[in-house]
Amino acid sequence: MSTSGKPPSTPAIASFIHLFPRLPPLPSAALLSLRPAVRQLQLQLLPRPTLSEQRPALLPRPATAQSRQPDASEQRSTRLLQPSDGRQPLCCRHRHASLNLAETMFSNLSNIVQRAQQLIDPTQGLNLSNSDRNPSKASLFQSQFRLPSSQTPLYEINAELTIPPSNSTRGDPDHDRGWHYAGKLHLSEAFLCFSTTPTSFTPSASTSTSSAFTGQTNGSGPSGSGFTFPLCAIRRVERLNSQNFQFALAITTWNGLLADVAKPKDSNNSSTNKDVREQRITIHLAGTRQACERFCDGLKRGLRAGVGNVGKLRKVVAECYSEHLLRTDDRAGVSPPDAGLGMIFRYPGDPKKLRDRAKMRLWAEYLRDNGRNMMLIRQPTFHKLIRVGLPNRLRGEIWEVTSGSLYLRLENPTLYTDTLAKFKGQESLAIDEIEKDLNRSLPEYPGYQSEEGIGRLRRVLTAYSWVNADVGYCQAMNIVVAALLIYMSESQAFFLLSALCDRLVPGYYSTTMYGTLLDQKVFESLVEKTMPILWDHLVKSDVQLSVVSLPWFLSLYINSMPLVFAFRVLDVFFVEGPKVLFQVGLAILRINGEELLDAADDGAFISVLKSYFARLDESAHPKSENPKLRAVTRFQELMVVAFKEFAGVTHSSITELRLKKKDAVLSNIESFAKRTAIRNLGPDSKLLSPEELGSLYDRFYNVLYERQQRGRMIQEELQRQAKSSRLRGSDNYPTAAPNEVEKGRVGLGPSTSLMDYDAFREFLAGMSRWAISDASANGSENKPYSARKSPNALSPWGSGPEPAEHEFLQRLFRKWDVDGASALTLQNVVTGLAGIKGKRDIMGTITYFFELYDDDNDGKVDREGILRISEALLFLSRRGLEGSLSPGASTVGLNGEPMSASDSQSSLPADISAGERFLGSVSAFIRRCFEYADPDHPKNQDGPAFEALGSNDEMVDPNAFAIGDDEDDEDEDEDLLTMDTSPTATPTKAKKPAGLLSPDGQSLSNDSGDNESRRRVSKAKAEAANAALDPAHPLHITLPTFRMVVLADELLEQFFESSFPASLHIIEGLQSANSSSYGPSLTTFSSLGFNTRSQTQAPSGHMGGGRGLRGVLDNIVTDGMRVASEVRRRMEEAQRELEKNALPSQRTEEDEEDDDDVGVAIGVRRGTGGASADIERRSVMSADRDLLDGVDAEVGSGAPAKETGQSSNLLEVDAAAGRRRANSASTTGGPGVLEFEG
Amino acid sequence: MAEAPKPSSSVKLVLLGEAAVGKSSLVLRFVNNDFQENKEPTIGAAFLTQKCNLPTRTIKFEIWDTAGQERFASLAPMYYRNAQAALVVYDITKPTSLVKARHWVAELQRQASPGIVIALVGNKLDLAGESQGASEDADGEDGGDARKVSTEEAQSYADEESLLFFETSAKTGHNVTEVFTAIANAIPETSLKSARGPGAAGNANRAADEQRVNLSGPRDAGAKDGCAC
Repeated sequence: MSTSGKPPSTPAIASFIHLFPRLPPLPSAALLSLRPAVRQLQLQLLPRPTLSEQRPALLPRPATAQSRQPDASEQRSTRLLQPSDGRQPLCCRHRHASLNLAETMFSNLSNIVQRAQQLIDPTQGLNLSNSDRNPSKASLFQSQFRLPSSQTPLYEINAELTIPPSNSTRGDPDHDRGWHYAGKLHLSEAFLCFSTTPTSFTPSASTSTSSAFTGQTNGSGPSGSGFTFPLCAIRRVERLNSQNFQFALAITTWNGLLADVAKPKDSNNSSTNKDVREQRITIHLAGTRQACERFCDGLKRGLRAGVGNVGKLRKVVAECYSEHLLRTDDRAGVSPPDAGLGMIFRYPGDPKKLRDRAKMRLWAEYLRDNGRNMMLIRQPTFHKLIRVGLPNRLRGEIWEVTSGSLYLRLENPTLYTDTLAKFKGQESLAIDEIEKDLNRSLPEYPGYQSEEGIGRLRRVLTAYSWVNADVGYCQAMNIVVAALLIYMSESQAFFLLSALCDRLVPGYYSTTMYGTLLDQKVFESLVEKTMPILWDHLVKSDVQLSVVSLPWFLSLYINSMPLVFAFRVLDVFFVEGPKVLFQVGLAILRINGEELLDAADDGAFISVLKSYFARLDESAHPKSENPKLRAVTRFQELMVVAFKEFAGVTHSSITELRLKKKDAVLSNIESFAKRTAIRNLGPDSKLLSPEELGSLYDRFYNVLYERQQRGRMIQEELQRQAKSSRLRGSDNYPTAAPNEVEKGRVGLGPSTSLMDYDAFREFLAGMSRWAISDASANGSENKPYSARKSPNALSPWGSGPEPAEHEFLQRLFRKWDVDGASALTLQNVVTGLAGIKGKRDIMGTITYFFELYDDDNDGKVDREGILRISEALLFLSRRGLEGSLSPGASTVGLNGEPMSASDSQSSLPADISAGERFLGSVSAFIRRCFEYADPDHPKNQDGPAFEALGSNDEMVDPNAFAIGDDEDDEDEDEDLLTMDTSPTATPTKAKKPAGLLSPDGQSLSNDSGDNESRRRVSKAKAEAANAALDPAHPLHITLPTFRMVVLADELLEQFFESSFPASLHIIEGLQSANSSSYGPSLTTFSSLGFNTRSQTQAPSGHMGGGRGLRGVLDNIVTDGMRVASEVRRRMEEAQRELEKNALPSQRTEEDEEDDDDVGVAIGVRRGTGGASADIERRSVMSADRDLLDGVDAEVGSGAPAKETGQSSNLLEVDAAAGRRRANSASTTGGPGVLEFEG
Repeated sequence: MAEAPKPSSSVKLVLLGEAAVGKSSLVLRFVNNDFQENKEPTIGAAFLTQKCNLPTRTIKFEIWDTAGQERFASLAPMYYRNAQAALVVYDITKPTSLVKARHWVAELQRQASPGIVIALVGNKLDLAGESQGASEDADGEDGGDARKVSTEEAQSYADEESLLFFETSAKTGHNVTEVFTAIANAIPETSLKSARGPGAAGNANRAADEQRVNLSGPRDAGAKDGCAC
């Protein structure tokens, strides 16, 4: 080993020259594959040095030397980087500009190399889906080295680790002494790890391919011998020259140098403190030159980034007892770091019996030789020392190291105190629960009979419940944390609890405790496999094993065994992982097998085990002749059986079993959770059937979890893209594998239980046809992450149809959201739906609907509300009506009676579809609403009303209107009566027209007025409407009016009675067959700009006419839009008129001629943007025509002819324009799609 | 206890209820006639047995004392499986605990074995002012006591659901034995199976061992740890 004999005080200039490595002059296979131009560039930039030929012995080969030193021939070690220790300037600060440039060039080149290699290696970058069965490389890596989840494996390389003997013979390097370990060196963002346990972190790594890691550990722990150094703990890395063309690095750590911050210390000259020995290890990299170069390059980057964390490291390490233990100067005056409550209240057990002193001495020696805490190197002795039990004061620290919680603490050393400070004084359910248990956590330990211990326990549990609100607090955590706190500080326990909950026993303490239940199943099947006779016995005697074993696992044996032994189990558990729990459990059953076979019921079974636990300290072989054998305690026997006899129980076998059982366990939990949730839904839920509730529950969570999963996938995809674009050209970290995001499940704990508005839309779209967007599924993606890879996966709506967006949905959401939380709970959804579906009576539904639009709950819906209601009715009916329409409905006219040709509905064919009739109903609805609306301020209304009256004899005031038309009344009444009773009812004389004046009356006369209005000529009606719409005449309808208007129309009545409730298919959902039927009609809908918010896409090709039913539907919807638009138009008109103070006499004509202007005005006023405004305007105009053709014309009087003609013309133009627009829309849409596909 | 002639049958009984209402304490009082101020929370469940002598027969209760925390609820089916009796416990000073008790009753009625005998038990009567030690129908709601759930409310609910109803104090022992005796009497003769072999595990010492068999072992037992280094 050619380590430098002298301290590495390389001149600064030399060191930064070596900072930049260079490309190997001899290109590897990968380089060869690069285009010649690149190679040329490389040669130009980095002229081949001549030195290598001159002094081959010192700087052996270009092929092995990473960097050259033109002048420092005596310098045999080259520094890659020396992190600042505070006084030494950082090398990089002095870097020469040209070197910088060269380095940049180099990194670009090395990038190309990497990418070229990726091309060569087809498996690299190829990614299989990552599930449990095929865990990501990163997660394997993290669990092997117990690293935080921020770490991903960047580079790995075969290497040999050399640890100099006792680190004490530095001056006299001897090749044959010291320890050598062959293994793999791994580099992540902030860690350098070495392990002898061969691992495979290839991109396709899975538990099976990397069974060496997950497999049998034989006591050496998953991480084998080696180390896990945070890069900030590395003080210096030197490149060693070696004669045998090897690539060797010498790594010096901060070990032992961090404790005394205050004391000035020359790190290069250890004379101030003779006893502090530098920890210096050597690593020979075994790989292609390229791989070595790359690794070093990455290491260099990481080291540089890690320099800033030395302060953190110092802080974290200061809490480690080892620093105190190994303190070489006078320890008397220094107070030791907190090693748990045991320092105050004594540690459990008799220290003499535990041979604590001897253990401490051994550990001190080990730590002295192999580094402490962060800088600890694991050698086989390490694992042996753990197996015999940790000494009290070091226990906490070693737990931290072996569990990896130390690295969590390093990542964020102040998280614990910060969390406490942040949530100080706040309350939560978890805190209440914690409070209940504080006094009953290991109550027999003196520390927990004092406020000191209770306080610590409270703080740690509380802090954790804040940082991991999903877990919060679970009983048994109090026992575990109470146990931890005996040996470690609060902060240490806090992070160790994180490591426990997140990695070691995932899901154990979750709200559903699925991890606990799962591991019980796993344990049972292990028992069945390894002890079939005992298992049969258990089954026969109906003893449920898990009732015995569940507390073992949940409280990590702390609650089952005497504490001293439970801690011994924990010692091993933290280093070897959860399999230890299984091994110990199996061993317990094995050792007690004979007695358990005699136990015939739960009670006997439990008492056998109880008495066993009570005698763990007794001799296992009390009658043995052999004194050595006699000295073996039952606990020792247990450990031997656990780890020898059940050595076959490995991480991978447990993982496999978990996978096998997972579904069943989760389903069990879920059916329980569902049952409970539904039962607890409250009285409203009784309105729905159990099937409906069950189905609602499923739909609710399905939508939530699907959205959650989709959101994560989209996010990951974006991140990956961001990362890859960032890395392109600058960095060459292999991009992380795309993780297939697992869909959440109720059984895994409620990660989400609130439904936001978008989820609500999606939820409805799964049940109701009207809640599905009109935009066609593939063209509607206007989100940035549309169709990049698989459109379905990344669409914000997944593979389902895009939900519609409509004002009605917003209202519904707000109504259901009773807490005003902008999110719905299952309870909200059930209550909401119960209001619609559960009432099963028309009045209830009508009221519900009315309340939706009664914004201020004053029992009134204003003009705008009426329009919105009609829009909503059309929105809800645009895909046709569901439910049971009365059989006769299709053959009778709108009003439910056979009508003469001259009658108002004559323009509608008798066999017209329900949809079309519904349109008529809605238009009648609007009319009626305005007719019977109450003026908000009757007094104020008089003035303008008379003005209007002056201009036109046909009234403006609805009331006046009705009165003025007396002669028609009788006919109307006849119509009315037949409608309201039966189609064949005999006409009855109308009541006094005055009845019309009572706006909320449900008397016949009111209804008659309604019919009457229909009979108005279009002009008159328009004017009536105008008056009604006149903003100077605020008006409203009340619930009774609304009810009356609805009940006046058979179709509307049916809508509220059955169609609307029936349109929510809670149980069966929407059949896929349905989806075919809502294609084209929707496009029409959207083209009208009705739904401008959710889609701006114009209809494309399939707009053509005459396609049977669909065409009809199209028209219906169009008609509906027109009605609504017409109403709006008239409102605008009226406003305009008022503004202009138009002369009454001019009025009629102006109206008609100015149609165009009005349209424009509306467009401008209401448009949500250029395009949609345009659409809207057009729709208004076509609505004109239609209204005149249909609804108005049928009234048959007045002079609509001119109007009609004009509007028809307009329509022609509009249609053409519309088509043009459609074309342009589809062409602009085209390239966008192509872009994504390309 | 060793009355041979009386027929003996075992009854599986499960305790359910919100956390810290005193389930374990009730059992401890019934089985050991003991009370601990700070009982460790039950993890999973504890199993205990106790005999109850009726004039005509002896009932051996196999008591499953479950953990009360909400999230342990999903474990409950494991314990109430095949149970013939259930004690649903609430805390008379905590109205929410009665709500939870109602949930448990509903769960049992739907999921547990048909014919299960359910007793609703309002515990911590000692906190209800003067009524402690008095008869259970004493309405001690007033007088500055901590009672928040009136006897009538719980009684009417119990009547509605045909539950046995008691208010108890595990601390004073008031009414505790009565609950178990009432349950024993309410178990229909037909649903009684004979005890699974009188000397079930052939344990001669079982009779004397009628005490709490907690799943947790003794703690801090002197450890003889002859570890080798």
